[in-house]
Amino acid sequence: MRARDLAEPFPTVSLDADAMAAAQTMAAARLPGLIVCGDDGRPYTVLPGSQVLNFIIPKYVQVQPGLARAFDERASDELSIKLANHTVRDMVPKPAEADELPVVDVDATAIEVAAVMARMHSPVAAVIDGNRVLGAITVSRLLTHFLPA
Amino acid sequence: MTAAVVAVFVGAYVLIATERIHRVAAALGGAALMVLLGVVDAHVAFFSEETGVDWNVIFLLLGMMMIVSVLKQTGVFDFLAIWAAKKVHGRPFALMVMLVSITAIASALLDNVTTVLLIAPVTLLVCDRLAIAPVPFLIAEALASNIGGMATLVGDPPNIIIASRADLSFNDFLVNLAPLAVILMFVFVGLCRIMFRSAFTYDEARAADVMELDEREVIRDRGLLIRSLVVLAAVMAGFIAHSALHVEPSLVALLGAGALVAVSNLQPEEYLEEVEWPTLVFFIGLFIMVGALVEVGVIESLGKTVTEAVGSQYFLASSVLLWGSAVLSGIVDNIPYVATVSPLVQGLVNSAGADTPEGLGLWWALAAGADLGGNATAVGASANVVIIGIAARNGHPISFWNFTKYGLVVAAVTIAITWPYLWLRYYAFG
Repeated sequence: MRARDLAEPFPTVSLDADAMAAAQTMAAARLPGLIVCGDDGRPYTVLPGSQVLNFIIPKYVQVQPGLARAFDERASDELSIKLANHTVRDMVPKPAEADELPVVDVDATAIEVAAVMARMHSPVAAVIDGNRVLGAITVSRLLTHFLPA
Repeated sequence: MTAAVVAVFVGAYVLIATERIHRVAAALGGAALMVLLGVVDAHVAFFSEETGVDWNVIFLLLGMMMIVSVLKQTGVFDFLAIWAAKKVHGRPFALMVMLVSITAIASALLDNVTTVLLIAPVTLLVCDRLAIAPVPFLIAEALASNIGGMATLVGDPPNIIIASRADLSFNDFLVNLAPLAVILMFVFVGLCRIMFRSAFTYDEARAADVMELDEREVIRDRGLLIRSLVVLAAVMAGFIAHSALHVEPSLVALLGAGALVAVSNLQPEEYLEEVEWPTLVFFIGLFIMVGALVEVGVIESLGKTVTEAVGSQYFLASSVLLWGSAVLSGIVDNIPYVATVSPLVQGLVNSAGADTPEGLGLWWALAAGADLGGNATAVGASANVVIIGIAARNGHPISFWNFTKYGLVVAAVTIAITWPYLWLRYYAFG
């Protein structure tokens, strides 16, 4: 099976899109990530949900996870405020980390797609046809293909 | 041969100071060249008390690093900082006083770098909850760790080197430098009040947020915490009694580390987590290089020259040591500095009388200068560098000058207070 057959419609966001709106899109559709397109409309990178969490959760809590227990419900709710007044550009990994993109051609085989996602630890691979984003392949879609019922 | 040894030493020292290559590579490279020059053999490097690796220093550091690794797993620092914030009802200046006091005391008992590594994250949390800038708090903690570290034999690596070289006990440091550290901490708190005055904005609503934090929640393993504190108390008692027991501090630390390993049920990667192997290897390389200088007689010649120049002007020598060490420690790593200067000071102390106040005053001048001088610049002490890194990763960059403008003031004031302290205690009324 080729990438074009596995690809599903997938929302894309621009680098200058509102960070809160992007996170809400991800949450509402229960998506593992979003495809971020550059000014030229081509995929710039994939923004995985974990990167959004990385942006929201203070670094000091990530370093010292025991501190997470000190957060009560109200403090936890306040964390999402951090997304306000930020764009997707602020959340995506720095350019050096985004040199290689989880992007596959429409003719890529399922194994090629899996290899790209595994190598890049990405939950999503964008499928492009020339300059156009055809859709995306998620981990769950790929596993469904590899592990038929 | 002597010229070649000196050239290798100076070359390695320049590389360490300028950080052109990693300091471990520079120290090991220098040590290797000393071996290749034929100055150092296995006996000189490993078994000689005069020229070899000071294993007491290496194993004391190793033991303390293992103790810290276990303590880190307990969440005790997070508990203390949140407890302190609640105790002062989130009032920023009082909070700073509490945090710098905790940092100074912990730095006296443990390693400075580890102390700031453990206290900084919870400081960021509390400052976040209070909606106040964390940078003044982080800078103050780094500065406090260097002052507190001066108080004991185990507080700062230069003290460990000096103690081993001068055969000074834990109690010697406690009696001679701890009172000075307490005085300096009081002065430091006053300086914080002035230097960071714009940072103490009190918001009652945000303070109420802090009161909602539950410090008991951050204790990860209550049983381990209690066992760790009992062992730590036993280690401290062992340090205090080590002279009477005729047990070296290195063995006390290793026994403590072993006891903690036995009672903690942690895995090796956990109880060795905080062991800084590069630092230990750096020390080994450094000791071999300094040992080579001793072996070819450079240190003895220099010692004679210095002793003749000083004559009986021991307070003058002490003053030069204090201020000179402070200036140099603000610029270069104080560990290689103290490792190199200690044999020279040893000669001077011997001429003054090793047990006389004049002689001892020289050691305390070296220790205070090297420890407090680290506060002078952003790169003067490892704790400063670590704090700046933590701040940057959390979105609060601290520039070199932003740190140094506070550090210089604190270093200058604390050294200026130390000067009359030394004079009064060891030269005027000694």
